[in-house]
Amino acid sequence: MRVRLSSKVMKPIASSILGTLFVAVTVALAVVAEMITIPPDYGNVTHVTYWEKWTGFESDAMKTVVDRYNSTEGKKKHIFVEFLPVGDIEAKVLIATSGEMPPDIAGLDTLDVAAFADNNALMPLDNYCNQYGIKASDYIPTTWSMMYYRNHVFALPTTPDSNALHYNRAEFRAAGLDPNKPPTTFDELDAVSEKLTKKDANGKYVQFGFIPADPGWWNWGWGYFFGGTLWDGKDKITCNSPENIRAWEWVASYSKKYGATAMAAFKSGFAFGSSSDGFISGKEAMQLQGVWMYNFIQQFNPKLDWAAAPFPHPADRPDLAEMTFADSDNLVIPAGAKHPEEAFDFIAFLQKQPNMELLCMGQRKGSPLAKVSDWFLNNHPNPYIRLFSDLPKLKSARTPPMMGIFNEYNDALGEAFDEVCLLQKTPKEALDGVHDRIQQVLDHYLRITKLRQAAGG
Amino acid sequence: MSYAQRQERSGWLFVSPWVVGFVGFLAYPVLASLYYSFTDYSVLKKPIWTGFDNFIQLAHDEVFWQSLKNTAYFSLFFIPLSLILTLGLAMLLNTKVRGMAFYRTIFYLPSLVPQVATAVLFLWVFNSEHGLVNAFLASIGINGPGWLTDPAWTKFTIILLGLWGGGNTMIIYLAGLQEVPQSLYEAAEIDGARAWQKTKNVTLPMISPVILFNMIMGIIGAIQMFTAPFVMFPSGTPAHSTYFYAAYLYDSAFRFHNMGYACAMGWIMFVLILVLTMLSMRLSEKHVYYGGS
Amino acid sequence: MAAKVSSRRSVQTTVNQIALIVLSLVCLGPFFWLLSTSLKTLPETVSQHPVWMPNHLEWQNYKDAFMFDSKRLGYIPFLYYARNTIILCWLTVVGTVFSNALAAYGFARLKWRGREIFFVITLATMMVPFPVVMVPLYTLFRSMGWIGTLRPLWVPAFFGSAFNIFLLRQFFRGIPFELSEAATIDGASEWQIFRTVVVPLAKPALAVVALFTFLGTWTDFFGPLIYLVQQKTFTLSLGLQFYQSQDAGTHWNLLMAATAIVILPLIVLFFFTQKLFIQGIALTGLKG
Repeated sequence: MRVRLSSKVMKPIASSILGTLFVAVTVALAVVAEMITIPPDYGNVTHVTYWEKWTGFESDAMKTVVDRYNSTEGKKKHIFVEFLPVGDIEAKVLIATSGEMPPDIAGLDTLDVAAFADNNALMPLDNYCNQYGIKASDYIPTTWSMMYYRNHVFALPTTPDSNALHYNRAEFRAAGLDPNKPPTTFDELDAVSEKLTKKDANGKYVQFGFIPADPGWWNWGWGYFFGGTLWDGKDKITCNSPENIRAWEWVASYSKKYGATAMAAFKSGFAFGSSSDGFISGKEAMQLQGVWMYNFIQQFNPKLDWAAAPFPHPADRPDLAEMTFADSDNLVIPAGAKHPEEAFDFIAFLQKQPNMELLCMGQRKGSPLAKVSDWFLNNHPNPYIRLFSDLPKLKSARTPPMMGIFNEYNDALGEAFDEVCLLQKTPKEALDGVHDRIQQVLDHYLRITKLRQAAGG
Repeated sequence: MSYAQRQERSGWLFVSPWVVGFVGFLAYPVLASLYYSFTDYSVLKKPIWTGFDNFIQLAHDEVFWQSLKNTAYFSLFFIPLSLILTLGLAMLLNTKVRGMAFYRTIFYLPSLVPQVATAVLFLWVFNSEHGLVNAFLASIGINGPGWLTDPAWTKFTIILLGLWGGGNTMIIYLAGLQEVPQSLYEAAEIDGARAWQKTKNVTLPMISPVILFNMIMGIIGAIQMFTAPFVMFPSGTPAHSTYFYAAYLYDSAFRFHNMGYACAMGWIMFVLILVLTMLSMRLSEKHVYYGGS
Repeated sequence: MAAKVSSRRSVQTTVNQIALIVLSLVCLGPFFWLLSTSLKTLPETVSQHPVWMPNHLEWQNYKDAFMFDSKRLGYIPFLYYARNTIILCWLTVVGTVFSNALAAYGFARLKWRGREIFFVITLATMMVPFPVVMVPLYTLFRSMGWIGTLRPLWVPAFFGSAFNIFLLRQFFRGIPFELSEAATIDGASEWQIFRTVVVPLAKPALAVVALFTFLGTWTDFFGPLIYLVQQKTFTLSLGLQFYQSQDAGTHWNLLMAATAIVILPLIVLFFFTQKLFIQGIALTGLKG
């Protein structure tokens, strides 16, 4: 009887205590959920958030420059730059900018600048550039051309990059080739490639000379090596021009010669920038790679006997000799950034030669600036830094197209490229398909742009 | 205040959170989405009315059709395969085997795994050079295909992924099977029915509502398939063979900045789901047996 | 005759047993590969001859995966992902159970004008796929300044959802109305009846809703993908995808360890609540 009584009294008390606790925990967690995203109070220091895509050694190099700024000029001006590595950065910056919570500075790829600018997601930097005396002549012209879109400066460079043929000298020697004579024309490349491709007793490939689809970052760009372009700069898509078709015929010739699926399967075992990277592991004797490759070789297979040389050109197009893709990583200020002036102060700081060279040296790349110190060239760890620095300055250098619809275009080209590699479509069919589709997208884009202009927005 | 009045007032009070949720997070977005689908819109730019432009554009958009085709292909193989396989499993588990609880757990476990984790895991299990599947095939003398690199196989890999995580469907079947009265089987046995006759004449009719339910859920799920292909095959590589409808929709909105276009695609998806659901209900009317209740 | 039948039965049983064993192995294969890879060294993962079981178990992988990049970031990302996921799970579970129990009570046990029609509309909304409302919801959250915060992922849970309302309403209707009537005669308010009569009796159904909300939040990918922008705020699912895209194909052993970290809590949870799970799925399936 007594037990029942006490349990009757206890129960509501226990349950109300439990209930209160429960509500308290919930409220507490909701508060924590809020605090996760609320920036702390920095007092009279302006807090600039900077999102960058790099996580590896490139990130460390940038961090060094950020720290240098924070401890010198930033300290004087009460500005603190917070450097945050962010993955999948294009999507995240777009989502954040659309959501009115953008970072003050974002590191974007050249290919994204136009699309972002078209969508009002970037702040034009012209006034700031004037204010700080930053001008075109400070930079390598190809690099500067990528900062410029629709008569406005939308970005400033961090590190530019260029690419070249990387080849395995040991494999050259083993195949009886001269390790000091890399191929200079596509015909030579094909011939050398054949000699460097090996099978085991079961007929399984154990080594490839060259695989056009690896690493696959410039699949959209092979046409440039044969003199093609992707558009006329105004309103015409030109991806099915004879030069582009010729380039992809060349790509397809590898699939025909070595077997499309065998080549794809062989490549699928690779992982870039690791010990199972095709080139670093020695399974692929030649590769089109960027200036950064040196660093990965150093890290995963320092004994690799390799060299870099300008990429081959078609024998009948000497004007295309020593072509490179000049690309760049850039800094932008997203529209709606809370502290654009302070953000630009850091960007301008970075553009000064010593700071820029510190960054570019740390990221193992060339400098975007027209003036380069001897210190930089002499102390740069990459033995081919002069090559990579000079290539973008040549007339033959090409830059990625600045198009608002390049994301779609790139996707379409990527898909078509896969189909050509797998011999599902002929290069002409594939490129005609891309042309028809993207011409439509471009027409639509131009129509909407006009409509918007008419509507005053 | 009368009892009825009190009920009236409390009724609305009790559902009031849902009224807010319904209006704010559902009704308004659905209507706004319909409006946006007739505009060019990218969040940072005000929507401008473009009439049927998005829909016309979609009709001519090869990638749209490709993504629809991929999704249809996946659904056409995945849904029947999953319905049959999980039913078979459930029936196996419904016999008097030893360790039923143990097996049930095993078959259910994969469906607990988040899609992202399944996708990452399958990238590795089906890796053509170093994966489990091809290693196993090689050990019995078969040269495994490029599960992730050959467009002829990639969709199949995703179908397998879906089947692996199909434990939910199986449990729903199992619950249905356990509700079939034992007396019906006994009656059939007295009539001399063989195993497959019992299946055909007793089991299938009795669980037909469950099959229909699983089928509709399958359709709705398959059309919205997103996470696994998105994680495993960025941009639907190789050769757009794994570019699914929902992935293209996401890309249109958040990569190509075409929010209006994405809304139009969303509405087409909505209509597709409605039509297919109605169709399966209609077509199954004669075959689905609803018991007493 | 009887002997014949029983021998046929035992053959059948053996065949079933074998089929189940084979299928179980197929089902467990990926889990095996997950665990074995997560304990390998990097060279073992890509060795020419597949390593089924590593000689030496590399537990360090789990620590490395968990601490990935923490030096650079200044915090341990997976710890943050786990914290955020747990916070979100708690909040969505509380919100979902609370709001849907209320709404279901309103629909199941109270009489008010418009109830039937509103319920039919509620049911109809179950057909709306998320992509339809994706963009306007994004715009809505943007106008409230919620993008990049965790709010879009948990606040809506406090405002009900059609499926859970439906599920709970079915259950609430099964609770004898005499109990409510008796309480009304004793002078209890609807809120008191809800709290002291209906909720205690509906615990199994509420537990099912809680469990599946928990699972849904833990595994959700699309929501975090479009609303979260900073790594600090990521959930485990998004964090895992982020980790994979960062580290694609380089450290499979670490990636598998990270995957195991994401999966393991769910499996543990399952073993503790197995009965509830199975009942819950059966319930959601059958009543639909």
